[in-house]
Amino acid sequence: MKETMGNLRRLVLDVLKPLDPSIVELVQLLADLEGVDGVNISIYEIDRRVENAKVTIEGHDLRYDEIASVIEENGGAIHSIDEVAAGRVLIEDVITPQD
Amino acid sequence: MGNSDDRPGRFTQSINNIREYERIAGFLQIARRALANNAFDGVLTMIGVLMGNYLGGVDRASTVIRIGIATSVSIGISGLWGAYLAESAERKRDLTELERIALTDLSKTKIGRASRVAVVIVSLVDGTSPLVSSLIVLIPFFFASLIGNIMISYVLSLIVALISLFGLGMFLGHISGRSLVGYGLRTIVAGIVAIMINVLLPLEP
Repeated sequence: MKETMGNLRRLVLDVLKPLDPSIVELVQLLADLEGVDGVNISIYEIDRRVENAKVTIEGHDLRYDEIASVIEENGGAIHSIDEVAAGRVLIEDVITPQD
Repeated sequence: MGNSDDRPGRFTQSINNIREYERIAGFLQIARRALANNAFDGVLTMIGVLMGNYLGGVDRASTVIRIGIATSVSIGISGLWGAYLAESAERKRDLTELERIALTDLSKTKIGRASRVAVVIVSLVDGTSPLVSSLIVLIPFFFASLIGNIMISYVLSLIVALISLFGLGMFLGHISGRSLVGYGLRTIVAGIVAIMINVLLPLEP
């Protein structure tokens, strides 16, 4: 049933978060969520007390609300959703002549 | 899934939460400092109370206990209140600054809760450490009727106070990773100085 509902498979989020709790804790909390197969967090900017993180989550049935609440609970603010993929198979961004 | 299974789970969860809050808010070091500092205050204050009673000619254990407990309660309240006000002001300021930088309300997040837990723990340690340490010094007076001579209760109380100071010194030595006895002797000297000054003060009742 869920397979036909266009289940979410990939999420790429731009998150601003305090240095504590660390990304080591956050990545494990996100990886423990149901429907998540793997998580990557990479820091692309760091300040004295906060850092900008790119959070990439892949799974077979991601639940955006739960993911967002874990990030917010840990002090993070989702600035933007940079990439999403859903469906039976994972589709990568296709390079076209216009790109 | 029953209640009996939930209890240890909840307890472990609470301990894990406190550990996590400690990692975020870092209150262990402050609480440890408050513990040593205020327990030291409690013992020295009680040495003052004992010397005042002794030099003032108080020979009833109940009077010493009454004055001692009143003093203990006051320094306990002082520690609790003072630490709560100071710590919550500092933590609120810190959280507000972080919220300004992170552009988000953190009060309902783990960070906000860690900040509030830090205030409660530091205040409790600040309040209970002088209360407990000063009451320990007073213990011989609770057994004054068994001991008989009030002078022995005074001497025993002062010995308990000096041992407590030595113990606190050893605790500090343990934290610093230096000589336990060296630190113990340094704190015990403070007690002896307090006793000597009281004896030598040229005040007649």
